[in-house]
Amino acid sequence: MIIKTARKRRQAVLAGLCALGLAVSLSGCGGDSSSDQPTGGQAEFSFLGMPENTTVGSVLSTVAAGPCASTVADYPLKSSSQPQASYDQQLQLLAGQNALPSLIFAANTPSLAIELHDGGYLVDIDQALAEVGAAGAILPAAESVLRSLYGGDLFTLPAEFNIEGIWYNKQILADHGIGLPATWDELTAANQKLADAGVQPFSVAGSGGDGWNVTRLVGNYIFRSLGADALSQVADGKAKLTDPGYVAAAEAVSAWGQAGYFGPAPTAVDYATAMNTFLTGQAAFYYMGSWALASFNDPAQNQIGADNIGFLSFPNVSGGKGSADQVPANAGMPLALSTAGYGDGAKAWLSCLAQNYGTVALRDMGQITGFRVNDPVADLPALTTEVQDIIANAPSSVLWFEALFSAQATTTAQTNGGLLAEGSISGAEFMDAVQADLG
Amino acid sequence: MRRNDSSGPARPARQRWRWRRAPLGLAVAVLLLIEVYPLLWLFLGSLKTQDEFLNRPTWALPADWLNFDNYVQAWRSGISGDLLNSALAVFPALAVIVVCGAAAGFALEVMVWKGRGGVLLLFLGGIMIPSQMILLPLFSVYFQTHLTGTLWPLILTYVATGLPLTVFMMATYCRAIPRELFEAATIDGASMLRSFWSIGLPVLANAVFTVGLVQFFFLWNDLLIAMTFTSGSGHDELATVQVGLLSFQGRFGTVQYGPTMAAICLNVLITLVLYLFLNQRVMKGMTAGAVKG
Amino acid sequence: MRQVLGDRKTIAVLLAPALICYSLIMLAPMIWSLGYTFFTGNPIRGFSFAGLANFDTLLHDPKTGQALAFTVKYAVTVTVGQVVLGYLLALLYVFHLKRSSGLVRTLVFFPVVLPTVAVSLLFQKLFAIVPQDGPVNSVLQLFGAESVNWFGSGAKAFLVIALMDIWRSMGFYGVLLYAGLVDIPDDVIESARLDGAGGWRLARAVVLPLSSPVLISALIFSINGTLKVFDSIYALTGGGPGSLTSPLTLHMYRTAFAYGDYGYGATIALTLTICCLLVTVAVFRGSRKDLLA
Repeated sequence: MIIKTARKRRQAVLAGLCALGLAVSLSGCGGDSSSDQPTGGQAEFSFLGMPENTTVGSVLSTVAAGPCASTVADYPLKSSSQPQASYDQQLQLLAGQNALPSLIFAANTPSLAIELHDGGYLVDIDQALAEVGAAGAILPAAESVLRSLYGGDLFTLPAEFNIEGIWYNKQILADHGIGLPATWDELTAANQKLADAGVQPFSVAGSGGDGWNVTRLVGNYIFRSLGADALSQVADGKAKLTDPGYVAAAEAVSAWGQAGYFGPAPTAVDYATAMNTFLTGQAAFYYMGSWALASFNDPAQNQIGADNIGFLSFPNVSGGKGSADQVPANAGMPLALSTAGYGDGAKAWLSCLAQNYGTVALRDMGQITGFRVNDPVADLPALTTEVQDIIANAPSSVLWFEALFSAQATTTAQTNGGLLAEGSISGAEFMDAVQADLG
Repeated sequence: MRRNDSSGPARPARQRWRWRRAPLGLAVAVLLLIEVYPLLWLFLGSLKTQDEFLNRPTWALPADWLNFDNYVQAWRSGISGDLLNSALAVFPALAVIVVCGAAAGFALEVMVWKGRGGVLLLFLGGIMIPSQMILLPLFSVYFQTHLTGTLWPLILTYVATGLPLTVFMMATYCRAIPRELFEAATIDGASMLRSFWSIGLPVLANAVFTVGLVQFFFLWNDLLIAMTFTSGSGHDELATVQVGLLSFQGRFGTVQYGPTMAAICLNVLITLVLYLFLNQRVMKGMTAGAVKG
Repeated sequence: MRQVLGDRKTIAVLLAPALICYSLIMLAPMIWSLGYTFFTGNPIRGFSFAGLANFDTLLHDPKTGQALAFTVKYAVTVTVGQVVLGYLLALLYVFHLKRSSGLVRTLVFFPVVLPTVAVSLLFQKLFAIVPQDGPVNSVLQLFGAESVNWFGSGAKAFLVIALMDIWRSMGFYGVLLYAGLVDIPDDVIESARLDGAGGWRLARAVVLPLSSPVLISALIFSINGTLKVFDSIYALTGGGPGSLTSPLTLHMYRTAFAYGDYGYGATIALTLTICCLLVTVAVFRGSRKDLLA
């Protein structure tokens, strides 16, 4: 505390000095004039988006123009955006000034979001929802994913709810007489059969930080072989990734890489290319989350036809403790409300979003969210309905490989995913590197 | 090169020159090919659809030469506003950088005083500071002084980050100015301040435009500073061109290639016009400078 | 004359604006940030005093060592490439293309104008292996070689990065050095020519010494720029594969902002600044002794 006040004082002194200097330098250097007035009043509802994610922004403006027009009219939406790559930095800078916008994405890394919450920067959602009379607006399945991701607390809103699994090209499997694999070994056999026939079995991305879809395979293998709590034990320090059971998972994926199942050069493939490889019929399997439905349902991108795509739950590992009905799930990039921007406007907006977000996102964007859908939406594409059913019927869910890891370990895992898929590092080397950053 | 030199004075000079020029001409041609191809690639790319980008070879020609959808999309994304912001931030900063930088370089090299070496080193130190390091303190200061939400943070930071190199380069160029010029002016009764304006700056014109050009492209292409200070507090309308280009990136880093390239082409077109204009001035500055010799 | 050149008021008027801007907006924040090297934490958690713990971590952090090694390797390679090629270009402009060099200069300068996003897209496509072979791999196949995954190993990715940055900036250094070369009076060169010096000997005996101030500043500038490389690598490889192409700046940026350890990030930045300082002082040693005296 003493340090904090000392720091504050030093900051104030420096700030004063610099402000003085700015004034001097302004008159000294005589710069030109620029536009703009200071920030507007308290009445607006500010949102910090990302150019990469246009869904949330358009849902916000749709509800403001439509169903909530009367309730949020006094609190106009003011959105700005920050690229995903520098989003966390901006959150830290803004939080440091206690100037977070009312509605934000809950950071790229869960650990930063938890830090923000611990520092009192984020609103507790269950209390807030109860306060605006919207308790129960979040689906239990989504709430449980959010709680397990963020250390048991609920301070985020599930603007998305996705399941993940292996999508397959029905035509290719039929052409090669391959039935749906139920275990990892059967999937490996199917891969081999396809590779022998000259077809790339699996499409993955592994360039830069895109290797996360490779580490998902490792994570799911671990859930299937060691059980649903295997990775939280690692996060708690009760187990290590370098333990034989964990290393076996990475070795299994590395073996696929060495066998060439991921194509000739996974480290050169980015997300868009991997998606395109699958949607142009050049690969049989593709591990991805259900957010990809937007692309699957888009005829311009999907050249194999939406009817031709099937969903396969991540298979069992023989003799493993997990089971294939534990569906990998996530809440995409959840939203959060900042305490700094939480006033009457934010409350009106929260009440409106609780009521309408699920419906509008599903109807207008085809996006499945973790909000209750209050008005049934008709005419959904078949694949979307199928995914909705799987979500509704899944007895339990699991997170993903890096979900509970520190930011360092997450970066290390995701940037090394490509090398693992290329088979150029062994599973043991991969796990060593990630474990080293877990501390 | 050396072999050509020793190839005897017996040969007529003109023929020797032609001999030398042939490989040189080839080198220049290759050089231009390497440099111009991307221009072409960019322009062709701006006419392609996303599907062509993903599923056709890189060097394939666009399927439809009159497909200007990408340009329409790029324009609609608000690139005109972004251009205005970039201009409003970069040009004032540039003017300040060049004038203040030339003055300081002059003071450090032409004027004689104790400690000028130290001050020059101090400026030089600025080249070594990673700009990532000054973001956090500056963000606090700008916020506390309510400058956030205007273009001022951008202009001020640009001026400060541009000064070290400018001062250093100006000082270097100032070394070449013959001191006799100032002596003559002083005898005529002009103060040094006057000499700087009426003699120093004109003689430095060439250097001023070169440095100005260099700084222009640094500032125009800046992403880190613009990203940090223009968005994040409800001020998307302050985005610069480079920040605007990011709006064609989708989730997971998916790039909409066509509109991105169309936007880049528009951007490049404008900077190219500026460059050609400035280049003219550099040539003029040179001829003006030739008088001094 | 001495008195006029030493006039304190004139010096103050010329120097003050630049010095004040620079000190307040760059030096002060830098010193402020360096204060954080003795703290651990970030703006969200607040900072707590950590003594020398960050420096202890620094000494035992293999990632920092790896990033430092990469940064040095990159800086040396690219600096040599940029300055040597830039100097050759400048010689070409001045001595062979002469007054008609305008167009060539413009075209070779051109890549500097391109946004980093565009350049990295271009090089990704040039060196692509999937979904189609890019031009480079196509040429390899033409000669019967296998296609190469250029982004699959640290060494190959490094090669692409170095090529990209040299390609991109050699025209810039060409113009920078050109400005220094045109200032060499024609009569000096002519008289050397008449003395029988030509080509290489002329360059070494007359041009090189006369252009050395500009060459030294280009060298210093290039080294400091390359040691602080961030944008181009971030856009091209994202530091990958793995972290095999991560420079210190990227490591620092991630540590400070993604990993939420601002104090340690500042410590890494200090390391980088010290590197820049050492190299610059070393370059100065041989050239401008007056500054260090």
